[in-house]
Amino acid sequence: MNWIQVLLIVAVVTLLVYLLRSRTNARAKAWVKVGYVLFVLAAVYAILRPDDTTVVANWLGVDRGTDLLFYALVIAFVFTTMSTYLRFKELELRYARLARTIALEGARTPES
Amino acid sequence: MYVVGIDTSSVWIIVPAFNEAQVIGDVVADLRAVFAHVVCVNDGSRDDTAEVALRAGAHVVSHPVNLGQGAAIQTGVEYARRQPGAAVFATFDADGQHRVKDVVSMMERLSRGDVDIVIGTRFAGSAISHTPPLKRLILRAAAWLSPSSRRLGLTDAHNGLRVFDKTIADHLNLTMSGMSHASEFVTLIDENRWRVAEEPVEILYTEYSLSKGQPLLNGVNIVFDGFLRGRMRR
Repeated sequence: MNWIQVLLIVAVVTLLVYLLRSRTNARAKAWVKVGYVLFVLAAVYAILRPDDTTVVANWLGVDRGTDLLFYALVIAFVFTTMSTYLRFKELELRYARLARTIALEGARTPES
Repeated sequence: MYVVGIDTSSVWIIVPAFNEAQVIGDVVADLRAVFAHVVCVNDGSRDDTAEVALRAGAHVVSHPVNLGQGAAIQTGVEYARRQPGAAVFATFDADGQHRVKDVVSMMERLSRGDVDIVIGTRFAGSAISHTPPLKRLILRAAAWLSPSSRRLGLTDAHNGLRVFDKTIADHLNLTMSGMSHASEFVTLIDENRWRVAEEPVEILYTEYSLSKGQPLLNGVNIVFDGFLRGRMRR
């Protein structure tokens, strides 16, 4: 086994432990955890047998496994960016409503 | 006091303001000469906009932080609609670009009773404002790019002057905090099938209002926000 394989496996497993230990907002996060476990299994397999990703890539008409992973990474990145953006917008709205409540409570009326 | 058959004590003018201490006093005073109730929403200004507006006779609601004009208008409407007797509402920019007499003529239009909201336009009738050419082009494009705006036959997507009734005030829920609220307002009119009319108004492009105006490039953000709006939970 190469050193890079050891390092990569340690990294994904550490992230898995970290994720499984966090327990905020049960239901939505449960699917994330299941998804991540599947990801870790696939990742460990791909790290130990990197050539197999090329086989999968060839099925899809891509030359190298590396390229396939790169394409997947780009899609995942765009998806994450969009969902973060929408999440921010949502938070901004909640924040606006909170500020509005405070503003309305402190309203000042002119004397006359 | 009555103006064009409307009891002015039932009218609330909503003025969103961000760092407008220089001009807000005059704007509020001009409005107060005709209308009893003005609410200035101080959107987290760093200057003394709130004090100046209060001294000029406006009700003042202050956001603890800057949220944007859309959020300020929503706050103002929420404040005004809970006031006893409030029946007619108007939004009016704080930078002195609007004329009080345009609000009066828009109220006259509303009082005919066949519409729920009257929006000012710089591009209809004979009252052509001296809009800078590039700004004019972009505003026309913005009106044309919005499906709601096209469907309703509106010519000026981003006019700050609006006069509307209690139904709209009660149901208004602007979620775009920034400058995209103008198109959101039009979309809401379309979705809720509120009856809308346009009234020609003049915009006074003073050096001050031009310097405070939004950069034209912001149009890109507005179009983008419009596309994303449907994707958000409310």
